[in-house]
Amino acid sequence: MITGTGITKTYKQRGHILGGRDVQALRGVDFDVKKGGAVTFIGESGCGKTTLGRIVAGLETCDSGEIVIDGTPMSGLRHRQRQAHFRRIQLIHQDPYSALNPTRTIYQTLHAPLALRARQTGRSKAWAEERARELLTLVGIDPGYVLPRYPHQLSGGMRQRVVIARALTVDPEMLVADESVSMIDVSLRLGILALLKDLRERLGVSVLFITHDIATARYIGEDGELYVIYRGQVVERGPTETVISAPVHPYTQALLSAIPVLRGVERPGAERVEPTEALDERHVDTGCLFARRCPFRTDECEAERPSLGNGGGTPQEHACFHPRPRSVIPVEACA
Amino acid sequence: MTESFAPGVRVRDLTVVYKTPAGELPALAGVGLTLAPGTITGIVGESGSGKSTLALSLLNAVQPPGRIKEGSVEIDGLGDVVKLDGEDLRQVRGRKVGYVFQAAQNSLNPLKTVGKQLLDLGRSHDVADLQALVRDARELLGRMGLDGARVLDSHQHELSGGMRQRVGIMLALVLNAHLVVLDEPTTALDMITQATILRIVRDVHHERGLTTLIITHDMGVAAEVTDSLAVMYGGRVVEHGPTTEVLGAPQHPYTQGLIRAIPRLSGDIDEARALPGRPPTLGTMPREGCVFRERCPLRMDVCDTVDPAPVTRGERTVACHAVGHQVSPPRRKEYA
Repeated sequence: MITGTGITKTYKQRGHILGGRDVQALRGVDFDVKKGGAVTFIGESGCGKTTLGRIVAGLETCDSGEIVIDGTPMSGLRHRQRQAHFRRIQLIHQDPYSALNPTRTIYQTLHAPLALRARQTGRSKAWAEERARELLTLVGIDPGYVLPRYPHQLSGGMRQRVVIARALTVDPEMLVADESVSMIDVSLRLGILALLKDLRERLGVSVLFITHDIATARYIGEDGELYVIYRGQVVERGPTETVISAPVHPYTQALLSAIPVLRGVERPGAERVEPTEALDERHVDTGCLFARRCPFRTDECEAERPSLGNGGGTPQEHACFHPRPRSVIPVEACA
Repeated sequence: MTESFAPGVRVRDLTVVYKTPAGELPALAGVGLTLAPGTITGIVGESGSGKSTLALSLLNAVQPPGRIKEGSVEIDGLGDVVKLDGEDLRQVRGRKVGYVFQAAQNSLNPLKTVGKQLLDLGRSHDVADLQALVRDARELLGRMGLDGARVLDSHQHELSGGMRQRVGIMLALVLNAHLVVLDEPTTALDMITQATILRIVRDVHHERGLTTLIITHDMGVAAEVTDSLAVMYGGRVVEHGPTTEVLGAPQHPYTQGLIRAIPRLSGDIDEARALPGRPPTLGTMPREGCVFRERCPLRMDVCDTVDPAPVTRGERTVACHAVGHQVSPPRRKEYA
C-alpha cells in the first residue's frame, strides 16, 4: 500500500543566539505497510515516531527519501496530485478534545466532507445524511444521540469514535492512529482499540499504530509488524509477537523491561535490562546511537553504527552487533 | 530536623461537594480510607472518580466551587486537618505533608531557577538555616541521580520531564515532610523514565521512612510500587486491600473489569475485554443505589435502591452487594 525508503527529516532550531542546533528527527527510515496490514511504531517521546506518522499521512514532507503509494512515487508529483493520493490515508489525532471543532455539531462536522463527496460523485443529499448515520453506527455510537450534539457534550471515548467516523467519510484505505487511546479512560481504551481492529478486519483498512504502550500494539494486530524506533532510526523490526516475546536489541529489551509488572498476577521477566544512563540527545556518536546507554556495549559498538539486518540469524531484523534474545517481559504468575 | 516518623492517616465519612447550576453534587460520597504508617498506598480510578479530590482533601486544599461538607481527615501528629485553617494550615502544607502535583512541568515557576524557588519555599516556612536547606536539596537530587548543583541553577525549561518530576519530589521532601502525596507522578513520561521515577519513589520512601499516597489512573503504576491499593469509582472507594491480593483476586466487579481491560504482553490477548458503558460524571451520578450498577455484570434488584456499604473482612474492604453472596469471584464471567 505504502512504502518508504531512506526517509530523513531534520528540524532546524531557529531564533537561538548561537544559531540553534539541528534536530535530526529521522535518520534514514525504511517502512512498508501492506494493504490491510497492521504496523506499529513504538519508542520514547522524541524518537521520531510522530514525525514519521505525519509524513506517512502526507502532513509533513521529508528531506530525502522516497514514498511510494501503490506503485506511484510521490516525489515527482504536483501538490494536487499528491493530495489526491494522501487523501486515502487519514490521521487520527491523539487528543479527541481538540481534534473536533467546538462550534460545530457532530452533524455539521460529518456532513461537510460527505456533502462534498456527494457533489463530486453525483450522489444525492440524502446519501450524505444516510452515510453519516451509517458511519456512526459503524464506530459503535447511536447517531440519533450524537448527531445534534456539540463535542463538549460527549465523553472522550465518544469523541474519539466521532474522530474515527470523520476519518472514514473519505473511504480511506489506511488509518494512522497516533497515540489514539492515551487520553481516554482506561476502561474505555480497549473499546477504541477493538474498533480499529474491527475496521481492519471488516473493511480491510490498513492501520499504522503509533504508541509507547507496547501491549496495545499486540491487541491491534498479532499478525502485524512492530518497528522499534530509537532516535530516528529503526533498531528492531519484525512480527509483533516475535519482537515482544524474544527481543534481541538491548533498547527494545530496556523498553519492554520498563513496563510495570502487575504484581499478584504476573512476575517480572528474568533478564530485565536497564539503560546505564539517561538519554542525552546532545550526544550524537559515530557508533551505535544506543551504545552510551547500553549495558552490553563493546568497542565495536562505539566505532561503527550497525545497520538493520538479520545478523546472527534472528527471525526479526535488528541494528545491533550483539543480538541475543532475552526474556524481559512479565510472565503470568502461576496461581 | 524533626524526629522522623511515618504518620498514619484516617479518612472518615468524607463528603466533598461541588457547587454546580444543578445544586451541590458530591464528588466524594462518604469516603473512608486508612493509610497505615510507613506504607505506600495507591488510589486508582478513572477521570471523575474523585481520586484527585481525595488527595487534595488530605491538605484541606479543595478549592471552590468545591468544599468539604462533612467527615474528617486525621493525620497522626496533626489531628483533624479539616478543622485547620489560616496560618496553621499553611504551616502543615509542605512541612508535614508534601505534595507532588500532577504535571510537574506546570507546577514550577518558569521565571525563576529551581534554587530560587527552593529558597522561597524555605523562607515561607521560616527555615533558619537556608544553607542547610540547599545542602539537603542537593543531596536529595543527587540521591535521585541528578547533578544537584546544576539542577538548582537551572530554569524549568532546561530540564527534561523526568528531571522536573524529580525536582517536584525534592521540593515535597526537602522540608522533611513524612506524608507525601503524589498525584499522577508519571503521566506524560516515557516508559523508561517512568520506571526510573517509580524506583526512586520506592527507594526514597524506604530510606526516609515515609507514608506515601500515589494517585494514578494506571493500574500498572500502582501495581509496581504500592503495598496497598484502593480502587475508586464514582466518588467512592469500592475496593481496598493489599496490592497483590486486590490484583490477584479482585472482588468488586469494577476492579475485575478494570484488570481484564488491560492489554497484556503475555498470554492470550483476546482475553482482554472492554468494560461496557462509561464512567459517571458529577451530573450523571445516580442519586441512589450503587454507582456502578449500569456497567455491572452482577447487578441485582437491591443495587437499584441501596448504595452498598463497604464491608471489611481481614485486610480487605469491598463495597458490593454481590460480594459475600458468592462463594468465589466470577472471574470468567463474560462481558457484553
